[in-house]
Amino acid sequence: MKRVHTAVLERFGTFSEDFATEPYEAGWAEEAIFFVRVDAVEGANPTLSGQVQVSPDGIRWVDEGTRLPVVEQAGVTFTRVRHFGNWLRLAYRVSGGHARFHGTIYLCLKG
Amino acid sequence: MPSVSTGRSAQGVVAGLSKFRPLQTILAYDDFDEGLNGWTELTGNYRQDAMGVVPGHERFTDLRPPMLSSATFPFVGTHGSMSGIYSMKLATRAMAGRAEEEIRKGGFAQTLKRLTWQERGQVQFEMWFTYKPEADRPGIGEDEFRAFGVLWDLQDDEHRYFPAVRYLNAANGVVKQKWQFAQARKVSAEAWSGNQETSITEDRKSSWGAKPGVDPQWFGRRYPDGGTEGFRDIDKGHQRLCYNETIDKINWHYLRFLVDSRRREYVELQCNERTFDLRGVQPTLAPAYPRIWSLLNLALWVEADTNRRCFLFVDSAVISVGPSPSRAPRRKGMSR
Repeated sequence: MKRVHTAVLERFGTFSEDFATEPYEAGWAEEAIFFVRVDAVEGANPTLSGQVQVSPDGIRWVDEGTRLPVVEQAGVTFTRVRHFGNWLRLAYRVSGGHARFHGTIYLCLKG
Repeated sequence: MPSVSTGRSAQGVVAGLSKFRPLQTILAYDDFDEGLNGWTELTGNYRQDAMGVVPGHERFTDLRPPMLSSATFPFVGTHGSMSGIYSMKLATRAMAGRAEEEIRKGGFAQTLKRLTWQERGQVQFEMWFTYKPEADRPGIGEDEFRAFGVLWDLQDDEHRYFPAVRYLNAANGVVKQKWQFAQARKVSAEAWSGNQETSITEDRKSSWGAKPGVDPQWFGRRYPDGGTEGFRDIDKGHQRLCYNETIDKINWHYLRFLVDSRRREYVELQCNERTFDLRGVQPTLAPAYPRIWSLLNLALWVEADTNRRCFLFVDSAVISVGPSPSRAPRRKGMSR
């Protein structure tokens, strides 16, 4: 039977500037999904874009190439990634006038 | 027999358990090569009228999810665990308040395992562990790792109480390296926790606010030397652990923490070759809370002292229980 684990990387968070989730070790897993659940959005033309990053050591990060669909309103979005080594995080860019996103970010691992 | 995950052979279980000294009945043997086994991030209590946290727990909504770690570092690569590859890692964010300030969200991480008890008696937690700050900058960071701790959260028909021990490693950049045990000063609930709403609405008359002794890992006034109103120094409790000489050399340590839930007393703490006699010492007793009858929770936490992430690694852990022995004469001083 496979193992599965969901970690809540950000809980009831407010995202108003560029940021990245905390480093998370996932070397035991073969596949991962980042879920972004946005409960509320504020500001003018708010957009939240994100991309998966990988790292050899959990300290220096590089884009993996997988992007999250751009978020503009409340709802759930996700992106999938495989073959990521040990470390995973999601780096975000927030744009718009006084843009603020309220929500929760999950990392679901399976392997 | 302990509950054993699929994937572990009987021989592996026996070999893994031989490095522990469990009591009569093993409730849990968690080797983190098999998963997190029910160890989860502590979250606050939730409001009943909205999808949110009760006001008194808002400060405790970011206690960080534990992870299965291969202990991988920039220079050495993967260190692995004491037995196998994975350990459970508890990681703070790269932030901390000063030692005399309230804990800062993210600078304090806590995980726990939730059980209930079948009969009151002795309960023991053991683990093989190590600890480090993040290897993201020069310097070994020995003065940047504030503390880690082990906490029982127990409740019977009358009382809820928190026997806990804390290794205070450093405070405001000053190395301390000493053990403390939880026993609250005589303060009001207002002084202890702010007495904010922490329970679900219909319980508020009986358990509004955290009473003195509850959650000593963060409640109670804190001081610049790392002391708190919730903890007292263990007599002759200084202990130099094996920190080693680089940020990526990790040495596994043994810890055993024994309490007596029949007598509601501490018994002893062992870390490596030192055993600290705590028999007869009573944790602070709070009134029982609704809905957590027979509670037997075990929590681990780690605190950062600077804006450098701090990690507690647990190779494996055992929770065991047994009957309370008849009262023995209290030993004087500490044994080695």
